[in-house]
Amino acid sequence: MENKPLSPHIQIYKWHISSLVSISHRITGIINILAITLMCIWFALILFGESNYEIIKIFLQTFVGKFILIGITWSFSFQMLSEIRHLIMDLGYGFDLKVTKITGLLVIFGSLILTILIYLIGRGLN
Amino acid sequence: MAQISLPKNSEVKKGKYFEDKTGSKNLRKVNIYRWDPSTEENPRIDTYEVDMDNCPSKVLDILNKIKNEIDPTLAYRRSCAHGVCGSCAMNMGGKNGLACTTPHAEIDGDIDIYPLPHLKVKRDLIGDLDGLYKQYQSIEPWLKNNSTKQTTEIYQSKEDRAKLDGAYECIMCACCSTSCPSYWWNGDKYLGPAVLLQAYRWIIDSRDEERKARLKKVADELKLYRCHTILNCTNACPKGLNPAKAIAEIKKMLATANV
Repeated sequence: MENKPLSPHIQIYKWHISSLVSISHRITGIINILAITLMCIWFALILFGESNYEIIKIFLQTFVGKFILIGITWSFSFQMLSEIRHLIMDLGYGFDLKVTKITGLLVIFGSLILTILIYLIGRGLN
Repeated sequence: MAQISLPKNSEVKKGKYFEDKTGSKNLRKVNIYRWDPSTEENPRIDTYEVDMDNCPSKVLDILNKIKNEIDPTLAYRRSCAHGVCGSCAMNMGGKNGLACTTPHAEIDGDIDIYPLPHLKVKRDLIGDLDGLYKQYQSIEPWLKNNSTKQTTEIYQSKEDRAKLDGAYECIMCACCSTSCPSYWWNGDKYLGPAVLLQAYRWIIDSRDEERKARLKKVADELKLYRCHTILNCTNACPKGLNPAKAIAEIKKMLATANV
């Protein structure tokens, strides 16, 4: 009788906005830690000379480089908005199912809009 | 560490196919998780073609129809059929709920029916809830009053009574706890939404004198703080309760009170 099977769980459970935002919050958290580490290395390299700066600049202007930069911008935007959502929830607000749906959608679309905004501001400064 | 995949003995295989014998034109395919403890075989998914012209509106009606007319070996729990007893909690169309209150019209395409997620299966749709009941017992879900002299009832104001609304209606069907990924990965330690909602119900009861002790007991990294507001619980609750909010309220009490 010890051979009882375990019923299926994550394989069958339906996703909804709150669970998607929650898992994305974790994933972007991990990405951000890696991103911050990477940025520290970049800045440290700049300290060691101008040629390093040039190499990094060339890399960041490639397709892969741009993808990484925009990806990190989105990841930070998402993490920030989602964290605000969680902070409000920690205060005990926003648990109504309809409200969680709306705030979840706000986080998802807000992070995309924020990414575009930051991108445009960055271009304007250039 | 969370184990995402199912263990070898739990992998689900394709099962039997029961073709319709009524000649009905209005058929729906119903896929049901089956496991027979008397064999060494893995669980399987049996598919039934069900005549929807002669079937009432709820998922439980489909199960009853299958058991009565197609395959009497199907095992599932059910009792009141009115959303009060909580026996027929299962996973339908990827979401936990009570089979007796879930309309099959709300499920698109084929109807997939599984036992409540991440439980040891006893047979077919019957999951083992012993662990959850033990945890329920551990929060001591009864009124604690140290006065030995009181012989009359303990009064409660209307306001204090109103605080229990949204907590006392819980029928312990386990839809919420078994929908919670945190409970899947840490169910041995994390109390889960159902039990924490009940913990909350006794913490806020004005007649209870053990509030501080109750709070202290539940204030634990694993017992309480494994809740990451995924909100599967609130989405799953067939009684429309909000365990996630109750857990947040307990966290808030612990953050503000000197326990």
